Amino acid sequence: MPGIGIPSLEASLPPIVKRNYGKWTSHDHIRPGVIKHDAESGEACYTVRAAMPPNARVSTPTMRMLCGLADEFSEGFFRVTQRNSIEFVGVPVGRIEELIARLAGHGFPVGGTNRSLHNMTCCTGYMHCHLAATDPAAIVKAISEMLIKEYETDCLPAGLKISGSGCINNCGEGSCADIGIVGVHRDLPPINAEKLKGCELPLVISVCPVGAIKPKGPGMVEIDPKKCIHCPACSVACAAFAPIGSANGDGVAIVVGGKSSNTGDGPALAKMVIPYLPNNPPHWPEVTEVVRKIVDTWVANAHRDERVGEWINRIGWEKFYQRTGLKMSFKVVDGYDQRSLEYVRSNVRFRW
Amino acid sequence: MPTMEKIKLCCAKCGFVIEEYTAEELAAVPRKAKRYQYLKNKSSICPSCLASGRLSDIRVNEESGPVGAPRVAAPASSTAAPVGHEEHAVSPTPMMDAMSQGRFPSHAAELKKTKYPVQMYEQALQKRRTQWGYGGYVSLPGVASGVLVRSSARPEITKGSNFVRIMDPCGNFFSTASMRGLCDIADKYAYGLLHLLSTGGDLELLGIPTENLKPAVEEITNLGFDIGSTGDDYRTSEECIGPAKCDLTLYDTLGLRAAWYKRFLDDVQYPRFPHKIKCKFAGCPNDCVRGCQKADIFLCGVYRDAPQVDQQKVAKWVEAGGDITTVCSRCPGQAMQWESGKGLRIDEDSCMHCMYCSNKVPGVRPGGDRGVAVLVGGKLRGKFGPMLSRVLVPFIKAEGPDYKEVFDCIEKFTEVYDANARKKERVGDFILRIGIDEFYKLSGVEPAPQLLAQPRTNFFCHWEVEEVMDERKR
Ligand code: HEM
Ligand code: SF4
Ligand code: SF4
Ligand code: SF4
Ligand code: SF4
Repeated sequence: MPGIGIPSLEASLPPIVKRNYGKWTSHDHIRPGVIKHDAESGEACYTVRAAMPPNARVSTPTMRMLCGLADEFSEGFFRVTQRNSIEFVGVPVGRIEELIARLAGHGFPVGGTNRSLHNMTCCTGYMHCHLAATDPAAIVKAISEMLIKEYETDCLPAGLKISGSGCINNCGEGSCADIGIVGVHRDLPPINAEKLKGCELPLVISVCPVGAIKPKGPGMVEIDPKKCIHCPACSVACAAFAPIGSANGDGVAIVVGGKSSNTGDGPALAKMVIPYLPNNPPHWPEVTEVVRKIVDTWVANAHRDERVGEWINRIGWEKFYQRTGLKMSFKVVDGYDQRSLEYVRSNVRFRW
Repeated sequence: MPTMEKIKLCCAKCGFVIEEYTAEELAAVPRKAKRYQYLKNKSSICPSCLASGRLSDIRVNEESGPVGAPRVAAPASSTAAPVGHEEHAVSPTPMMDAMSQGRFPSHAAELKKTKYPVQMYEQALQKRRTQWGYGGYVSLPGVASGVLVRSSARPEITKGSNFVRIMDPCGNFFSTASMRGLCDIADKYAYGLLHLLSTGGDLELLGIPTENLKPAVEEITNLGFDIGSTGDDYRTSEECIGPAKCDLTLYDTLGLRAAWYKRFLDDVQYPRFPHKIKCKFAGCPNDCVRGCQKADIFLCGVYRDAPQVDQQKVAKWVEAGGDITTVCSRCPGQAMQWESGKGLRIDEDSCMHCMYCSNKVPGVRPGGDRGVAVLVGGKLRGKFGPMLSRVLVPFIKAEGPDYKEVFDCIEKFTEVYDANARKKERVGDFILRIGIDEFYKLSGVEPAPQLLAQPRTNFFCHWEVEEVMDERKR
């Protein structure tokens, strides 16, 4: 039964890691998808990183196949990275090419290190979530296919991270990434009178960030359509306000310039550049087209080691919109929160 | 046999017992009392009949002795909706097939190799709308956290699906033996589908019929994994790979996380806070866990002296074609100067310890005066949307094996939040509401210029009457 905690370090770590734990001295990118770490002992550790299916959804047959490869090539251990890649750690240097070929044979390309497109992360979306306004897994798959060259080669100015969230709950970390895809609802949440009976009304009224939910007679509420920002905190808090969404109401917002590391201009959340694009399964061409434009413009114009956000900081939003050819909308500064003045300029240091 | 009073929290509709306590326990153990109040005050989903609403509490006098197996009332047949597997007819999935093409691995192709009800996904794509219904966290007797239920808006395809969150092992390393064990459990009890790593840091097994939940959890724990991380508790903490495979780490992230579980496991497995709290641990300012964006409490490795330069190694790298000019020009502090023959100079006053030089140049390593900074309030949603975390304590030594100083700090902030935040208010929103000055006061941190982005430009300081009196007396 629960209460045992996480498995011990001793049981989880492969031998080569145990031998050199905390004693690594440098790292080197040998080729896309392969990283070499040197230890004080003189031992070198080669890691091979491969892509995983969007949302790290893996069937047990596929997982058993990957376990077989780990038994053969990395002493019976593997790890899953923060960006959902799979890593084989401690592969003998002479067998790297063989592992890469075997992975490729099973449909797992190797790459996503250094100045390339890193494996894309996303949330579960349509696969298993009732709040999803879009299907980030499908979008991630479409963008990965489009940018496979960028995944497999070190051809970018800096690392590129693209993430997708099915809705603004942001479980898929859209706002963390260089380019984020975030599902948005535009419809009002429904109110199910029957389910409202079991609902914690004061809680739901208080979670609404704009006070759009108002009492309307005993045990009933209404939503002010002028105020609602489709967030949908009420749908999360109570089943009576679900399901929100519709085929033509839902879609995708694009944000850019997020990053967590303290290098360059430091950590930043991604900023919205496009408030809405339609859902168009299975390949979401409107979304992939915008991503393509942003990536291409960044590649053509950024300095070396300049992440997307840093590039925009340098050239300014006017040049960003001008060079990418995207259209700006007032939705990107709207007055929902007190910070809206922060989004607009107080100087006239324009770029034209 | 003597009798003792037991308090049971049960589903108001079908009577399923979700948790039970003895009266003695409730009086003596504050965390149990807290948990009891928490559960009583919220609307819960019944794992047996899926009705949601307030739990009712029943007090009974029972024979004392070891707490027996909880009695489960038979669910009323009209409301029973046990979540189970249905047989799926082979049906066309054109959208999913289109997504199974190409060179990248495909989630759609993976789903089709499992018992996942593929029409739920296929129809969502065709109708451009999710087909799943409301869901939430459920508690079972003895399993207060870690189990989730998702209902279906298409009961003719599937009635719904339960899933469990398994806390990931250190550094997300799996031995193939333990992973095969998880595969066996997934095949035996669930869809045979792994969600290998959720963005929160758990491994999820989906599609567990209600009657299989207990045995599945039993087998998972027998395998050495534990579940938790749902609801208003500490969620699974995440650490970066740190000393296991990174040459830049400034403390033992894996060791710290293991110690964190030893100290805080109870808070991971018994939801009772105002909202979830995510703790993330990055080994250095590169923040590979994205803690500054995602974590309510974020520990970031930092160092205070200058980067250490191995001149020979750097010269060798430059000779071999290393691009030192770019690195110097992109150093955010403009602190680096390279002159061939003289080597690399780093100006300590200008350096902001960002890690960029160490990332790029072999031979430049972080200095030796190392510790962690504590940041709070990062989140990607909550009431006021995404927020970066803010520095609360710029430097503490991170000393194992129990990391007492660091964890006391985490505990203190959690207590302040727990005692003062509103229900369903994330740490960041709470700080925004009460003001950072008030939060400083409540948590008793010391002023340090490292906390500042910049001091204020207005003069509207608040002075307490007593403060002024004290000054006057001088
Ligand atoms: C399957 C259905 C899921 C639902 C309905 C759901 C629900 C939510 C909700 C309501 C929030 C916003 C909380 C807030 O008010 O701040 C949220 C945020 C989040 N959840 Fe989930 N979640 C789901 C799956 C997951 C999974 C599988 C994970 C990984 C463990 C996860 C990780 C996150 C993350 C990283 C955030 C982000 C933001 C933050 O830190 O504020 N979610 N989710
Ligand atoms: S981001 Fe939205 S759609 Fe995605 S898992 Fe979270 S709540 Fe569901
Ligand atoms: S969707 Fe958000 S803004 Fe609209 S009523 Fe619900 S809580 Fe309020
Ligand atoms: S955060 Fe720093 S120490 Fe941790 S893995 Fe990233 S670079 Fe290494
Ligand atoms: S740590 Fe950052 S600021 Fe300091 S010298 Fe290196 S690159 Fe420059």
